[in-house]
Amino acid sequence: MPAEIDLQDVHLRFRVRSAMRVSLKEYLVRGLFRPSANPPVEIHALRGVTLRVEEGERLGVIGHNGAGKSTLLKVIAGVYPPTAGTRRVTGRVCSLFDLMVGFEMEASGWDNIRFRSYLQGETPRTIRNKVQQIAEFSELGRFLDVPLKYYSAGMLVRLAFSIASAAEPEVLLIDEALAAGDAAFRVKARERITELKQAARLMVLVSHDLNALPELCTSVAWMERGAIRMLGPCGEVIPAYRASTGRGGPVGAAA
Amino acid sequence: MPARLVTVWRFRHFWLSLAGMDLRVRYRRSVLGIGWSVLHPVVMTAVFCVAFASWLGTGDWRTAAPFYLTGLAVWDVIKQSAVQGSLTFLRNEPYIRQSPLPLAVYTLRTSLGTATHFGIALGVAVIAAGVLHPSDHLTPLYAAWAVVPAAGLLAVFCWSATALVAVANVYFHDTQHLAEVGFGIGFFLTPIIYSKERLPERGLAWVADANPVVAFLDVIRDPILSGEPPSTVAFARAAGLTVVAAAAALAALARFERRLVFHL
Repeated sequence: MPAEIDLQDVHLRFRVRSAMRVSLKEYLVRGLFRPSANPPVEIHALRGVTLRVEEGERLGVIGHNGAGKSTLLKVIAGVYPPTAGTRRVTGRVCSLFDLMVGFEMEASGWDNIRFRSYLQGETPRTIRNKVQQIAEFSELGRFLDVPLKYYSAGMLVRLAFSIASAAEPEVLLIDEALAAGDAAFRVKARERITELKQAARLMVLVSHDLNALPELCTSVAWMERGAIRMLGPCGEVIPAYRASTGRGGPVGAAA
Repeated sequence: MPARLVTVWRFRHFWLSLAGMDLRVRYRRSVLGIGWSVLHPVVMTAVFCVAFASWLGTGDWRTAAPFYLTGLAVWDVIKQSAVQGSLTFLRNEPYIRQSPLPLAVYTLRTSLGTATHFGIALGVAVIAAGVLHPSDHLTPLYAAWAVVPAAGLLAVFCWSATALVAVANVYFHDTQHLAEVGFGIGFFLTPIIYSKERLPERGLAWVADANPVVAFLDVIRDPILSGEPPSTVAFARAAGLTVVAAAAALAALARFERRLVFHL
């Protein structure tokens, strides 16, 4: 079955509180006698997004901070369920976002390789060979025996990228994960990303690197305030976006 | 629901390995390691034997020790399922924000840890009963027959409690503190260090009827100590409680599965 992403009129709304702590008084008398001091705020993060990405396509997503790019990736990945509209994704999804999130800091590098691989759907049988490859790619050597709480930030990035990029994706979602580690490792990371892109049957890439996008993507979606403002070939969308930023574009509601 | 169950099973290596890591991390650098799971109820039991056995009418220490050990094992697993369980989704927030796995995966991580400690504590209680209070009834075969089905029910009940308080704690962050206070009071209202027969003497018979812990004490502690199989009524009560709790937990997970991520 060909890999495919099909979003039809997808909306995503959720309510958050500006302060996470809610007092007992707030719980007991909220709304009865006076307006809440900490009312829930509704975020309309995606507004009617319709998007179809088919096998072989490489879609870049651009836009200002808060335009909804990362939220769009999380909806495609299934982390955020749409509150309206339909989402259909065919193919094994691999997400390269929030690389640093979700490590078990008390566990060793080896253990974390296993946890994260299992989270990506691997089994003890399928990771038997991969574990060693991930270890070699990370170049962390004997540090893999040590709990992660003793790692530097750069070492964590190396490990995170090595694990995340070892997957064999059909649908590859990347959220600005290209800047990994020190200069030498960054070269390796770029090569690995290029291999992944070639291996993946379909890719969606969120990036602010407008110069690199035409080399990496077949089309680009420009997001603004949770909606797709423009969708088309790189040669049309990127210049339009550049012109918009030249005038100082707006900052939307959601990350 | 079946699709979610299939996914939970497909990702079993993930939650099994995390549960294993939790146990390793908990006892890292400890001299006794998981031996603390054995020592803790034994020391508590020794204190209860010295301080309360004659006072509370639980008899000779050889009889009282297995009584306390079994009661503490059942009490601790239910308490820890609620108190530790309340933090389940907050603790696993990074995974929930990255991967669309069913929430049950994370409740199983917590429940496996508490179930492991319960298994050790119950094993100590069974051995203590066999050694200190020897009789013909407590053969390994009898112990397995008497205890394993009821312990299975208790495991499901505890998983359900974990799932319910975990959901509640995301929406109402005081749940964990309420659970701690509730279990602090509940310890004295539950026949753990005294026999159930003493409750009616104090006009508290309703406590035994309303307290779900008593239902599991009836089907786990009584068979080990008395050599009598649990009555059909007692087993049906424990099974009924388990079914109700599991249904509530599954309903809560189904209802909040898609929305909970926005409240973390």
